[in-house]
Amino acid sequence: MEALEVVGKSVARVDGKDKVTGRATYGYDLVLPNMVYGKVLFSTRPHAKIHLLNVEKARNHPGVLCVVTGEDAPWTWGEAVKDTPFLANGKVRYVGEPIAAVAALDEDTAQAAVGLIEVEYEDLPAYLDAEEACAPGAFPIHEDYPNYRKEQFVNPHTSWPNICEHFKLRTGNVTQGFKESDLVLEERYRVPKIGHAAMEPHSAHAQVDPASGRVTVWVANDAPFRALHILSEALGLPQEQIRLINPFQGGGFGSKGGLKVEPIAIALAYRTNGRPVRVKFNRPETFSSTITRHGATVTIKSGVRNDGTLMARQVTIYWGAGAYAEKSPTVCIRGSLPSPGPYRIPHVQVDGYAVYTNEAVAGAFRGYGIPQTAWACEQHTDELAKRLGIDPLEFRLKNIFVDGDLTYWGEKLQNVGLKETLLKATEGIGWGKASNGSFKRKGVKIGRGFACILKPTRTPTTSTALVTIDASGVATIMAGTVEIGQGCSTILSQIAAEELRIPFEMVRMHPLDTDVIPVDASTTSSRSTYHMGNAVRLAAIDAREKIAKMAAAALGSSDDNLKFSNGNVLLKAGPPGVVSIAKLILDNLGTEGKVCGKGSYTFELGKDLNSNDGHSEHASAFYMYATQAAEVAVDEETGRVRLMRVVAAHDVGKAINPASCVGQIEGGLVMGIGAALHEELIVDRKGKIRNPSFLDYHLLTSLDVPEMTCIIVECPEPLGPYGAKGLGEPGLAPTPAAIGNAVANALGTRIYDLPLTIERVYWAIQSMKKKSPQVQLTGAS
Amino acid sequence: MKRPEPFEIYRPTSIREALQIRQTKGAGGYFQAGGTDLVIAVKEKGLVPKYVVDLKKISPLRVIREESDGSLRIGALVTMRELETSTLIRNRYPFLAQSAAEVGSVQIRNRATVGGNVANATPSADVAPALLVLDAEARISGLHGERSVPLAEFFVGPSKTVMMQSELLTEIVIPATHGVRGEYIKFSPREMMDLAYVGVAVALVFESNDKTCSRARIALGAVSPTPIRARKAEAILHNRVLTEELAELAGNEAATECSPISDVRSSAEYRREMVRVNTKRALLNVAAHITEPLRWIERRDRKY
Ligand SMILES: Cc1cc2nc3c(=O)[nH]c(=O)nc-3n(C[C@H](O)[C@H](O)[C@H](O)COP(=O)(O)OP(=O)(O)OC[C@H]3O[C@@H](n4cnc5c(N)ncnc54)[C@H](O)[C@@H]3O)c2cc1C
Repeated sequence: MEALEVVGKSVARVDGKDKVTGRATYGYDLVLPNMVYGKVLFSTRPHAKIHLLNVEKARNHPGVLCVVTGEDAPWTWGEAVKDTPFLANGKVRYVGEPIAAVAALDEDTAQAAVGLIEVEYEDLPAYLDAEEACAPGAFPIHEDYPNYRKEQFVNPHTSWPNICEHFKLRTGNVTQGFKESDLVLEERYRVPKIGHAAMEPHSAHAQVDPASGRVTVWVANDAPFRALHILSEALGLPQEQIRLINPFQGGGFGSKGGLKVEPIAIALAYRTNGRPVRVKFNRPETFSSTITRHGATVTIKSGVRNDGTLMARQVTIYWGAGAYAEKSPTVCIRGSLPSPGPYRIPHVQVDGYAVYTNEAVAGAFRGYGIPQTAWACEQHTDELAKRLGIDPLEFRLKNIFVDGDLTYWGEKLQNVGLKETLLKATEGIGWGKASNGSFKRKGVKIGRGFACILKPTRTPTTSTALVTIDASGVATIMAGTVEIGQGCSTILSQIAAEELRIPFEMVRMHPLDTDVIPVDASTTSSRSTYHMGNAVRLAAIDAREKIAKMAAAALGSSDDNLKFSNGNVLLKAGPPGVVSIAKLILDNLGTEGKVCGKGSYTFELGKDLNSNDGHSEHASAFYMYATQAAEVAVDEETGRVRLMRVVAAHDVGKAINPASCVGQIEGGLVMGIGAALHEELIVDRKGKIRNPSFLDYHLLTSLDVPEMTCIIVECPEPLGPYGAKGLGEPGLAPTPAAIGNAVANALGTRIYDLPLTIERVYWAIQSMKKKSPQVQLTGAS
Repeated sequence: MKRPEPFEIYRPTSIREALQIRQTKGAGGYFQAGGTDLVIAVKEKGLVPKYVVDLKKISPLRVIREESDGSLRIGALVTMRELETSTLIRNRYPFLAQSAAEVGSVQIRNRATVGGNVANATPSADVAPALLVLDAEARISGLHGERSVPLAEFFVGPSKTVMMQSELLTEIVIPATHGVRGEYIKFSPREMMDLAYVGVAVALVFESNDKTCSRARIALGAVSPTPIRARKAEAILHNRVLTEELAELAGNEAATECSPISDVRSSAEYRREMVRVNTKRALLNVAAHITEPLRWIERRDRKY
């Protein structure tokens, strides 16, 4: 194989300049000719019948074009379960649910008209806790649940109320496993709801052509083709009657898939006589009325032998789904599946329940359930090691997955870089060595900890791409991967340049428009480098082969005597000969001519999990492995956890762009540290989020970020492009657990609930001091 | 976020002119300095000004000067960034400069003024505790003349001061004091861009190098309806040698003098505990540097 020219290099991002100079147009910036402005009335009740909804005054307000309610937009949508109305229809299920919307000539008029809408509620029992919502006798949040259209993989629990998914994994016999163990430990961990806090809030622009009825939506959506499919099902329109155009997306982290503001913009656009409608959510609306990450309660019970052999593990997880199913079924399935951790365990039982509650809708969030279960599993694993008197590193080395292991879901793993990440991260933090922390002083305790994860990707899925080359030698990639800030345009350009052997600067990305771009599953699940990377690679190879035919004719040679280099085709042997790709296309196809290569990739072995036992021989196209380690200084007098250093080692298969990989890991760490120490959506007893702004929803600032060391491990995936796996999500997944373990190591007591705020840690220290030193704090209730 | 209703903006160049505008235009007017509190009140909290009097062109209010008697005058329009970087302030009262440096971000501090922070009178105003322990006075100008109010009597309640609507805060005056050493601890979860969960300022005068306090002032922010002095805690220190035990006693006392609330940020109980701990720490931080010349000490090198 020829040496790689541009793949593997840290070339500068293709979208970098436009973004730092402010030229890039994001969804939120879009201005359309003749557009009108939409504003929304949101529910103030967590669960209530709408007794009365009077929009007369709003309708008659000067400057108002239309007011729409659930009656005017009687559509429902849903990815896994078709349960979500465009606008509340007779009933609200959470505080922040859109009830009605107004379109007016300007935003202030629209907002003023929203204030004129009268609504009367009749309250119903509300559930703000997943376990209460599925307790026997609980009032159903969706009376009609049995009749909703559901995807095949959805597995509701018929005898309990309000369950929208029950995931089951059964391997061996846990009762037997516990019996054969020397130590059995059960603990309970909690993770709160958090917000995605993407820099760009949500928005959508929509237009309905009065003549054809065609619907066009401009929206920064991370899965435009899925949105197209969902909309087509919801509106009862054929797919060709809908078009999505994707401007730049200012981050999403999972919050911008499915439908968010789109239904409101579309409902209004049907009544504005062809004028486009802009609906922008402000920050509080984005926090309260789009989606959140799932809060979760994880009960984990393990049996181990005295020598550290894991015998059995049982995990029960309640995922708070919020008012609508959204992506809860798949978060529950794919988040619960590896919840026992990346370990060889003969007896495993997992029950994951996604439960409807009367809170904001929970959905996809970078990591798709793994961060929540890792918080439990990795701390629990440390606790087991501690009780057995075994070093946590040694304990893990004894039990972690290595090549050839059969997982508890029945898949034989290959290309497992986990052990290398574990060794490198622990070495990086100085595991087992004395700390040279600068914060050594009275009342400050230093501690270290680490955590490992494994993350699957959505499987099977398909990506398709076209690569065209024109008569000036410029290649254009037509791919449905959304530039959500992760750098896909750069690495896909690197891949095309690599295969065509043209200068990197000669590659362009076509803007994303569902009318012209071939179908792609989604920009989610860390799947794009692998799937779309393969598709673009195949498309570039296809184009190259077509050009090779032209070159062979032009140079009077056979195909296999050709070498592509720097935009030219050369003869490998014999008399010298060279011709540029541009000239070949010009001569063969004329000035407007283009060569078009096609590529499509599906991981064909991929198989859904069996709904009875959760097994699959190929549950994921590839797995992502990571270990992160942290050193903390805990101030016992205040409860402040200061993060001194973090070391993150990630198996990426092959780093197509190492700088981009480090960017993903660092970005992930910053999110992970925020989730560990600060972030929580605080919901009051009436279901209202009390901190829906950056004043009280604390993200890290650059001054809060510790020294970060990112280590790239390359354990190649033979089917991935150049060996690549994925990296978008894992950066934040083990972080809170690593910090939790470090805090436990510092204090000698464990904290079971996230986040580790100054106040929570303070009271934990106080209660530890009150208890006699022999008594262990456990999370078991 | 709501776009404000249209209103008139006046840009006077003198105090007199500013006051006259208030007189002729009547009620419903607001002064604006940096606007970092006012603009948010208008856009997010439903404040509807009839008119705004922008003070930024009144240049005499933008200076810090030292009088011959050693007192300092800080003009109301001095920005937080100017206070933070002023050599005069850094040399005389580095902890006051540091309290200004705790506000928001550099961008905010380039606009936010000392007068605005004090006049806005939030319980968590970051320069208030440091000014309180320096026995600062507020100079206030009204149509009927000038008056001077000790800062300790200036704050009346959350966002309430002794000033009338039409009165202008012109200066903060810090009387001459010798040998004052102080400390301000802003205690909040994040390193920057956060409101104080608890703010503690202390200012001490030591008799000699033996750590006997001849004068002690302690002020607390964010734990009462206004920034307050902790006078009982001060009394504990008076004429005593500042040891760790004494600092602890003073901290315990300060914790009983405040009346914090529970809110989305933290519980009242925790805030009270943090008053205790941080009062002690502020006192000990001062004691730790008693033999050195006064200087700016980086946040990371202080115990907080
Ligand atoms: C992002 C951000 C972060 C912040 N962080 C902090 C922080 O960490 N700590 C902190 O204490 N504050 C913080 N603030 C609040 C604010 O910046 C400060 O209170 C600032 O000092 C206010 O000054 P200003 O000049 O901007 O006041 P303005 O907004 O101009 O005025 C505030 C109020 O005081 C009145 N006023 C102003 N000047 C006078 C005067 N001379 N005479 C009479 N009345 C007057 C105005 O009418 C108005 O009611 C923050 C604000 C923002 C937006």
